[in-house]
Amino acid sequence: MPDPILVVAGSERHDLTGRRFVFANAAARELLRITAEEGMLLSAIRDPEVLGAVDRALFDLADAEVVYETTGAQSRSLRVRARPLAPAADGARLALLTFHDETEVRRVERTRVDFLANASHELRTPLASLSGFIETLRGHAKDDPAAREKFLGIMQAQADRMARLIADLTSLSRIELDEHVPPRGVVDLAPLVGEVVEAATPLGAQRGVKLDWRPCAACSVSVRGERDQIVQVVQNLLDNAIKYSPDGASVRIEMQSGLTDTAAAGVSTDIIPRLSLVAPDPSSETYAVLRFTDLGPGIARQNLPRLSERFYRVDGQKSAARSGTGLGLAIVKHIMNRHRGGLVVASAEGEGSTFSAYFPVAGAPEAVVKAS
Amino acid sequence: MNEHIVKSYEDELNSLAAECVRMGGLCEAQVADAVTGVVKRNQELAASVVVRDDKLDEAERDIERKTIRLIALRQPVADDLRRAVAAMKVANNLERCGDLAKNIAKRTLVIIESDPLTPLTRSIERMGKLVLGRLSSVLDAYSRSDLERALAVWSQDDEVDEHYNSLFRELLTYMMGDPRTITACAHMLFVAKNLERIGDHATNIAEIVHYEITGAEIIGGRPKTDGLQV
Repeated sequence: MPDPILVVAGSERHDLTGRRFVFANAAARELLRITAEEGMLLSAIRDPEVLGAVDRALFDLADAEVVYETTGAQSRSLRVRARPLAPAADGARLALLTFHDETEVRRVERTRVDFLANASHELRTPLASLSGFIETLRGHAKDDPAAREKFLGIMQAQADRMARLIADLTSLSRIELDEHVPPRGVVDLAPLVGEVVEAATPLGAQRGVKLDWRPCAACSVSVRGERDQIVQVVQNLLDNAIKYSPDGASVRIEMQSGLTDTAAAGVSTDIIPRLSLVAPDPSSETYAVLRFTDLGPGIARQNLPRLSERFYRVDGQKSAARSGTGLGLAIVKHIMNRHRGGLVVASAEGEGSTFSAYFPVAGAPEAVVKAS
Repeated sequence: MNEHIVKSYEDELNSLAAECVRMGGLCEAQVADAVTGVVKRNQELAASVVVRDDKLDEAERDIERKTIRLIALRQPVADDLRRAVAAMKVANNLERCGDLAKNIAKRTLVIIESDPLTPLTRSIERMGKLVLGRLSSVLDAYSRSDLERALAVWSQDDEVDEHYNSLFRELLTYMMGDPRTITACAHMLFVAKNLERIGDHATNIAEIVHYEITGAEIIGGRPKTDGLQV
């Protein structure tokens, strides 16, 4: 895709409304979320540094270069260059504005730092326990076969935990690197969920948890996305629901389509508060939503905002009884953000939890007709 | 269809709105830099936020002067009057946001004297991003007269509150755990409160945009969550 480009015209320095963009290529219109090819400059861009650079190019006829950070769900950082152009036929001053995306470069750097910090911190605990047991096995437990068996079992569990952590961390950093690359491909949601549910059924059966999967009967829904990543979203949310379900309860998986973003996110009630962990930028897309409902202990309101934080565990849940890595929801969050979808949690203590993940529907117009 | 006979009257109204939008850009930058300053413990950035606040005060005075002049000389009615009044009110709210950003920056200068509180700054960063997103959404709504977007900002106020409440609890845990962190944590608490206030100003601006476009106040209460709002 070409870099975004704007051509800006201006007449007088003091005349704010006189500064207009007279050309914006498709990339620029997408970046600045504008629909017209021309209009008032301030309606497209407000950043004081960029405006300063434009003024320098327009009125001092000098080149200028600044860094511009966009806000929104997918924030980007861009290097903006402003260059004066020859005046237009009607005498207006012109300047050319080019945007060069540097988000990836910065992201790679930051991801590397984060990965090292997280990995070393989280691996320390199981490692310490491993070396503790090795010491014991070499020392006074040397000739005690019963203790040896028990310790080796614990060591195996710790080693497994380390392996899971490393697997999750690598997949997280890979997902983060691709977060700004729009997913290619189209996935039919219902059969995909069906497969994952089927694969998870034995796991549920072990714990006496029934999986109640309700595909929406009328709609076959194709969403834009990468198959493997959507599988990971479904799997992680389903694993969580199973993990926190009491024995013998059931987990409900529902699917709906043809919704606007607000409808997909659902509504907050007095009893059950709701919080969106990932929200797409406002748009007129239609969405297909998957809801995972469990009857577990629920999550207290004050813990909701921190759920998708890496390694965050709700208090008192640090024990090994629930064998997660603390990365499942962080992974889901990044995948949903990449897919320009959303993730919403509705939960209250003692009321169970519902996680809703919604994806933009591929070929949206027909889907709306079908749903209505 | 709405052509004014005196062309410069329309120009004056337009440039009033344009100046508000430019002031909005300044304000966004101030809030963004204040948050980055406290998250990255950047003394230089925080100090520059404090200095630059004058520009916002100046812009507000300027817009107010021009609005009053316009009302006095042109005696606008109906939607012209609403546009003029909206510009002045938006400028007021932006100036308040600027003050809050300046306050965050001042506290940053104190906070960086004590040891870093890493998980906390993550929470502040998340909350800052959320608040900044709201501010920038509502300014988009104002500059493009986009009613739908303004309403979206208006109805999503509770998310900021949830973050504030969560941060409040987190801070309490820290202070109870280690009294040496109390100074920094107390300042952090105000930083969080200031961010929450900035979010409220974004909601105010959304109400102003609604009034400017429709001439009516938004009816019905906002979805409000009650926890420990103070």
